[in-house]
Amino acid sequence: MDREFVVEDLVMDSALKKALIEDCAKMIIAHAEELTSLDQAIGDGDHGVNMKRGFESILADADSLAARPLPDMMKAIGTQLVMKVGGASGPLYGTLFLTLAKEISDQPTAENLKAAFAAAFEAVKARGKSEVGQKTMLDVFAPVLAAWDNRSDLASHLSETARLAAEATVSMKAIRGRASFLGDRSIGHMDPGARSSSLLIATIAKHFGA
Amino acid sequence: MANVGIVIVSHSEKVAEGAADMVRQMVGDAVPLAFTGGNSDGGLGTDVGQIMEAIDRAWSEAGVAVLVDLGGAETNTEMAIEMIDEARQNRIAICNAPIVEGAVIAATEASGGSPLDIVKQTAEELSPQ
Amino acid sequence: MNAPQMSSQAAVTGSALLTNAVGLHARPSVKLTQLAKSFSSTISVSTDAAGPWIDAKSPVKIMRVKAPQGTTLYFEALGDDAQEAITALVDLVERRFDEVEGDDHG
Repeated sequence: MDREFVVEDLVMDSALKKALIEDCAKMIIAHAEELTSLDQAIGDGDHGVNMKRGFESILADADSLAARPLPDMMKAIGTQLVMKVGGASGPLYGTLFLTLAKEISDQPTAENLKAAFAAAFEAVKARGKSEVGQKTMLDVFAPVLAAWDNRSDLASHLSETARLAAEATVSMKAIRGRASFLGDRSIGHMDPGARSSSLLIATIAKHFGA
Repeated sequence: MANVGIVIVSHSEKVAEGAADMVRQMVGDAVPLAFTGGNSDGGLGTDVGQIMEAIDRAWSEAGVAVLVDLGGAETNTEMAIEMIDEARQNRIAICNAPIVEGAVIAATEASGGSPLDIVKQTAEELSPQ
Repeated sequence: MNAPQMSSQAAVTGSALLTNAVGLHARPSVKLTQLAKSFSSTISVSTDAAGPWIDAKSPVKIMRVKAPQGTTLYFEALGDDAQEAITALVDLVERRFDEVEGDDHG
């Protein structure tokens, strides 16, 4: 479906917010086993379980979350993710949403969305003390930010960029986190955080015409 | 002004409790003290919510010094500090010191009424300079 | 602003023999430091009458002394409460840091 990416056309109302929450949560829950097995290969095997727990609690709260203004909603989601996901990803995803909450407007423009995401990317970098190229979710976020321009099919472009970026982590060597202790043995497996973040980006992009 | 409080955050509940026990036995009751260890499943790890609660328990107007063990404890403690009310955020200091010795040294320094920056600095004398 | 006090104060000194079994181990170190901190004077400790001198209020430095039983600790204090400080510290050492013998608390 080709449509011009005009964020301003979409009203960020409760219905859209609820749909975004539900779809993201269901996507993560549906892929929990896959995320677990990715994490078993190169991590401590809890990414799927942790993310599922966090997103289940968000799903259960979908109505009350969607009723809030967007910044408040993001803050509440970020807080829930920190408290419920745990492991290494809880603080990372929590920081992502808490930072989005600080930067995003209630009815965001395309520029505002991009700026908010850029700020959130920096915050996640700082939280995880990681850099691009170390085989983490940053290796999905950075290409997505770099690809973010004014094209008409932006949503599907970003979704595809995220998918390809997650794929690209397969051949990377982990330099951060538990996977880094595997050294070369971390090569040949997709980073679980890259997978979960590309799934989330794809899900969100669908609502913007992807 | 009350003494600086000490918070111990370990991946292990037993280590956290043991370190706190050593602080109490060696330094006495002069400093507020709290500890947390293990994740919400009772396994090795740390929990942001539990860390926030430990900071509350040891809270003092002079602030708190936090001792941590491995990397995740530090990240989760940083997360906890960010989620705590703004008024208290700049009175919480994570010390780059070994967790057990650091807790004892920090508590000793705190028991003499030293301010938070000195408590942190003193504990960090234990780490390679 | 007060005129700086001319140091008509001489350093007050004292010494005491470590007789407790574990010498200046961790717990005695903490007690020594805590006691020193309760005085306003600057206080130094050495295992030799000629120095080198260590700040008695520094827990890390005192813990690193690790003086064994049989060592003599020398104290030097400068300040308004220097005499009380020396008396108290010498007394602490002579009381064996109030440790119960057989307690190996570090």
